[in-house]
Amino acid sequence: METTVKRGSPADAALTCLIVDDSAFARLHLRRIMDSFDGVKASEASNGNEALSEYNRLKPTIVLMDIVMPGLEGIETVRRICESDPAARIIMISSVSYGDKIQEAMEAGARRFIPKPVTPEALKEAIEAVMTT
Amino acid sequence: MRLDFVKIFIDSTTQIFGEVVGPRADVNSIAMKANPVAGREVMTIIGLAGEAQGRVIFDMSQDTAVQLAGCMLGDRSPGMTPLVRSSVAELASMAIGRAISAVNDRGTKLRMSPPTVITGANLDSFDQCFETLVAPINTAYGEVRMNITIQDLE
Repeated sequence: METTVKRGSPADAALTCLIVDDSAFARLHLRRIMDSFDGVKASEASNGNEALSEYNRLKPTIVLMDIVMPGLEGIETVRRICESDPAARIIMISSVSYGDKIQEAMEAGARRFIPKPVTPEALKEAIEAVMTT
Repeated sequence: MRLDFVKIFIDSTTQIFGEVVGPRADVNSIAMKANPVAGREVMTIIGLAGEAQGRVIFDMSQDTAVQLAGCMLGDRSPGMTPLVRSSVAELASMAIGRAISAVNDRGTKLRMSPPTVITGANLDSFDQCFETLVAPINTAYGEVRMNITIQDLE
């Protein structure tokens, strides 16, 4: 079944999202984009350890995960989430976007990779892709 | 100094600045200095490590930082708030992230630290001397000075 993420008027929250980034600006930017989509409810974590506990607590439909973070960085966090939940839908979002790093993220369990700066169009496309695979 | 990498860092930074806080972001002159030239009120530092090492320092006036953040946030802040600090840190992180991605794709393993933002007066007291390439980047909101030090491991 195809899932379409629309922009526009608010609707019942059908899709939950966990935004993981140590940057308050990045979290706000992503939250604003997610809030512009219909039927999305977003929550936030500011580091890898917080992301693990929030993922277990909320079981979000999708996760938006940064890579470069103090402490537990993004790819290791993805690996740990996917070990406990292989069905996790994780989209990597990072300014660090070279070939080997993208491959490492995908091998850890991420399903899509978006380089920063993130546009609403790129995020919408990635969400639709992970929701249909 | 790895001047080939320096060009990548300057190009990536002007690209990101143009995309995020553009349209204007250009470098008029580049100079080699014996020490970083970074004495303005807002300084963002990103460390580089791997097969080469170094650091990048961006410095700017507080007014420029507030205006850049206002452009990124869509709303001008009243002063140097935590969200302004986070915005200028993220701008630097996106610029250097793109640069190290290009360097890695060319075969040299390089990684970056999360950015650190320092604010206040008289920030130019570095305890170490290290050759630095200084590139002033002109934006619509004022000058951002980029100090780059990067060299191969000895």
